[in-house]
Amino acid sequence: MMDLLAQAAPTDNSPFWSGANGSNALWIGILVAFLLGVGLIFLLIQAPVRARRTIVAFFTFISGGFYVLYYFWPQTIDRQKMDLPRTPLEGVSFWLEDAMPVVSQLTNILAGFLLGLGIYSLWRVHGRKVIKMQKDWIFSFVLLASSILMVVVGYMDWATKQGPDGPKLSEHANWHTINYARDFLFEGFLQQMDAAMFSIIAFFILSAAYRAFRIRSVEATVLLATALIVMLSLMGAVTNAWQGAINHINPSPDAFVQNFSLDTIRSWLTNSVQTPSIRGIDFGIGIGSLAMGLRLWLSLERTGS
Amino acid sequence: MGAQYLDTGWVGPIFTLLLVAYVLFNIRRAERAGKTGKEVYIRRIAGLNAIDEAVGRATEMGRPVIMVPGLPDFVDAIVVQAMNIFSYVSRIAARFSNPILICCYNASVFTVAQEMIRDVYQQEGAIERYDQDSVRFISDRQFAFAAGVSGLILREQAAATFFLGNFYAESLILAETANSVGAIQVASSTQNTQTPFFIAACDYVLIGDEFYAASAYLTRQPVLVGSLVGQDWAKITVIATVLFGMIANSVQLRGTTTTEKAAAVSDTVTEDRVGTFVTIPERPKTINDTFMHEMLNPIPRIIKYHTDKTDTAPATYERPQKPAPPVPLDAVAPGGTQ
Repeated sequence: MMDLLAQAAPTDNSPFWSGANGSNALWIGILVAFLLGVGLIFLLIQAPVRARRTIVAFFTFISGGFYVLYYFWPQTIDRQKMDLPRTPLEGVSFWLEDAMPVVSQLTNILAGFLLGLGIYSLWRVHGRKVIKMQKDWIFSFVLLASSILMVVVGYMDWATKQGPDGPKLSEHANWHTINYARDFLFEGFLQQMDAAMFSIIAFFILSAAYRAFRIRSVEATVLLATALIVMLSLMGAVTNAWQGAINHINPSPDAFVQNFSLDTIRSWLTNSVQTPSIRGIDFGIGIGSLAMGLRLWLSLERTGS
Repeated sequence: MGAQYLDTGWVGPIFTLLLVAYVLFNIRRAERAGKTGKEVYIRRIAGLNAIDEAVGRATEMGRPVIMVPGLPDFVDAIVVQAMNIFSYVSRIAARFSNPILICCYNASVFTVAQEMIRDVYQQEGAIERYDQDSVRFISDRQFAFAAGVSGLILREQAAATFFLGNFYAESLILAETANSVGAIQVASSTQNTQTPFFIAACDYVLIGDEFYAASAYLTRQPVLVGSLVGQDWAKITVIATVLFGMIANSVQLRGTTTTEKAAAVSDTVTEDRVGTFVTIPERPKTINDTFMHEMLNPIPRIIKYHTDKTDTAPATYERPQKPAPPVPLDAVAPGGTQ
């Protein structure tokens, strides 16, 4: 068992989890994984509902168990490519470390499959709107046309960069029309629209702050006072004037009144009030997600009921 | 563990196992209590009480309820939790034939949401009212998603919105847009930085672990309620640890010390003494000398590697006895031990 978990020999070749490009081992691995995947889907389709739950619970447990083992098992540091495991414990450590990138990529592979379903949904909703000329169909048409345009232009731009002129395209002078088109659509349009949406937040902050800081209750008043102190403490002129007034009362650094400088009050608010509160909330969230993860891992969670 | 392994100390794993034990024990306890008809008390959470009110209002106005399960990269525990709450909302909406709309940022969340909503309608015996387009994939770009959802809120004139999950900079865009159409808003973000924005703009906000308590509060399933009690036990343990640390540090920091834990190789500390206590001239104790600091900050052993590849090491490795220095990893001969 431990021989399997240990590395066979200190070579430059990739370990068990990832065969070298074009190697037989890689192709066999892909084929076996594909057949296992198809077999599993077939099994899930054929199995009765109760058995399906068991199968899903089994695979959930195995998948979660990998991460639990990875977390609890001693991890290597500064492992070199040619290193050999010397003990069974190290063999497992090396095996887990090699497996981690492959296992974590499984999520990406699944997401890749599911992206197609997402795009299908998007097209179905907006395609129907365009065909039936429903209200605001023109926006749906713009969405569909833009998505096609971006895919086509993006692909053609990529293709020219892979071609013989690819290395020259790092300079603008050598760009083809398609490269300009991609630049215009992506950098000139998409990125700018993203930035525009982001900048809207500034206006929303203003309107939300106006509502939040109105003195309606004790809590809102405390919020207003706190925010005011923090904001004023960041204004150099105000801080300076306030400090001048404090020094006028008693300039000694050890004087009690020095505790009321804006910087000191701000530090007290952030370090003694804000940070502990956030840490408390963080503890709650951490424990909550741990409990949730545990329920999912052990298939104790029953959704939709 | 040998020198080549990262020593994270025993506190983390033991503490994690303790919390796991709390949760599992209480789930078992709640299941037993459930069989005898006893119910565990859960304090009132205003944001969750508002769900019925929000959906009822939407029904009266004939306008949809919009739900957003955050902007996750994949289906994680936070998404599942948000979906649990959304399934409850959808169930009420299905009973009242109220239109719903779930906006997804991620394709995998979209498929999960679609299955879940279909199940809910089926369980409610209203599968004919299930609209396939009620779950929509909007975009997997943050601000394109924000623009898409904002557009839907404005066009559909949503009567109620539920923003539950992982939200980032777009939180205020969504909340303010929904506010502008007069929607009742229930929100929660597991990102602490976004919670103040939701508090400023929304009617009800689930703060921190209230989000995880939601499904237990709504469904009262023994498994979920037991888990919630386990979480409370865990929080009590955390609070007790913090209080103990506070008192222990306060007491310890009053004294002086003549020993110190060696953190690095120096003129007086050899490699094998790193991590052990060495004698020093008397000085006041600092935070690094306290019991709590030592417990939470195990010092990893200092490792030195031989760069000379011609170094011949024994073919079989034996754990060296102190104070002999550890054998370097790369000194093991090729084709050596298995």
